[in-house]
Amino acid sequence: MRGLLGLAAVAAMLAMATVDANADDASKYPDLKGVWNRVGAPRWDQQDRTYKNAPLTPEYRAIYEANVKDQEAGGQGTDPTYTCLSPGMPRIMNVYEPMEIVVTPDTTHILIEHIHDSRRIHTDGRPWTDNVEPSFRGYTIGQWEDTDGDGRYDTLIAETRFLKGPRSYDSTGLPFHVDNKTVIREKIYLDKSNPDLLYDEITVIDNALTRPWTVTRKYQRERTRFPIWRESLCAENNTHVAIGKDDYMVSADGLLMPTRKDQQPPDLRYFNQARK
Amino acid sequence: MVSRRTAALIALAATLCMMLGLASAAHAFDEAKYPDLSGQWRRIGPDRWDGASNRDAPLTPEYRAIYEKTRKTEAGNMIADPMLTCQSPGMPRIMQAYQPMEIIVTPDTTHILIEHIHDSRRIHTDGRPWPGEVDPSFRGLSIGQWQDTDGDGRFDTLVAETRHFQGPRYFDGSGLPLHEDNKTVVRERISLDKSNPDILIDEITVTDSALTRPWTVTKSYRRDRTPVLVHRESVCADNTAHVAIGDEMYVVGPDGNLTPTRPGQPPPDLRYFPR
Repeated sequence: MRGLLGLAAVAAMLAMATVDANADDASKYPDLKGVWNRVGAPRWDQQDRTYKNAPLTPEYRAIYEANVKDQEAGGQGTDPTYTCLSPGMPRIMNVYEPMEIVVTPDTTHILIEHIHDSRRIHTDGRPWTDNVEPSFRGYTIGQWEDTDGDGRYDTLIAETRFLKGPRSYDSTGLPFHVDNKTVIREKIYLDKSNPDLLYDEITVIDNALTRPWTVTRKYQRERTRFPIWRESLCAENNTHVAIGKDDYMVSADGLLMPTRKDQQPPDLRYFNQARK
Repeated sequence: MVSRRTAALIALAATLCMMLGLASAAHAFDEAKYPDLSGQWRRIGPDRWDGASNRDAPLTPEYRAIYEKTRKTEAGNMIADPMLTCQSPGMPRIMQAYQPMEIIVTPDTTHILIEHIHDSRRIHTDGRPWPGEVDPSFRGLSIGQWQDTDGDGRFDTLVAETRHFQGPRYFDGSGLPLHEDNKTVVRERISLDKSNPDILIDEITVTDSALTRPWTVTKSYRRDRTPVLVHRESVCADNTAHVAIGDEMYVVGPDGNLTPTRPGQPPPDLRYFPR
């Protein structure tokens, strides 16, 4: 009897040691494998799509309205992505094309084909540093949290800083402040009753806003056995050509065209030949 | 002589240990199975497919003629390189690794992440068969499997094949062309150098109608183990001044005006603009 108890104790100790060493990264994190598609239109605020109630300062309300008029006249307004500039953060989380999420202990990779939308959320415990080159996607540090105390992580909290512009929230051109001092906070988690629904609660702090602005984006998982990630190259079929501050287009026959009525052609001062 | 009770106890203990061993093997197995490919990998050598001059590239006479007619800079780089207007280099040129490469291995996929233009790719290792219909792409569709070639119980070589391309694609910045039929097949064997685990080798064999035979070159990359705090973003459209209008490539100068890229280049045709 004592022998049996002794062996059982040893086995139990081995078991605990083994599980602790190997209750490893894969089991600690939520299962985020698969193809994630955006739910709803790629509009920042799904409920207020004309942004009547967006908390813009008076100055940026005026910029937004001028942008709307420009877009109505055929221009691009304050939406900079027509020449394949990155949408940047937080607009990347409109998830214009299917998203893949790869969780490793040090980094959660968010991979999206669209333009240059992939990003990293660093979860390696690094501190914030001052010396970061600004970028469209910014620099993101986060940590996984176990909010329900079940021993497994369920929520990724992330903050993004060091952004550059120009950026807008979506194709309406809803603008960010030119100072690019945007801070973005995210809470990313699965729906507790539907593990194929993912939420990203995104709070934006920006000097074009009168207050922090929170929206919740939703994504639906597609559990395809062998997903095909369709390549999406913005530059491949992009007919927009930016020359200086002007936007032109290239026609199907390879010729330069105006994008609005009475638009002047580009200055050809550096060419010797007479205009055709 | 061991009593029956003692034998039973030993058998029970052995069974428990085996079960625990298998459990730990199942958990540790995935990480321990694969080589450590962490860090950033940078290409060794110039932007030339064979690492030198491509002089012995086995091009067909037709494609040799095309290559020799390609307009080049003094440094031997093609003037109308599609990368200048942010077109993807595609495969196999992506493996020139124009910017540092990060490799993430998961059981289903080996991700190769490169900031440059749109160069990231996936090598699917989930056992999928080749699908019947695939949208062609510049990077192609890559299916592979990890192999344990030295029998030590760990994978050491990723064998991959890539098909289903679109073009135009070139091998490198000199404009060494791939055939316009895009029937390229790219086969790779990716492994760490056995004598230096900070050197990654990609043995790449290209089968293409512009070539007289399959052509194998070996690309090497050096690992930089410096912890990377910031992966520098590289948005091509933000960094390029080149614009393509029809078949002509121009540059937008610092003053925002269009400039030619060669002497005597005609300006764009402005027939669609009011006089």
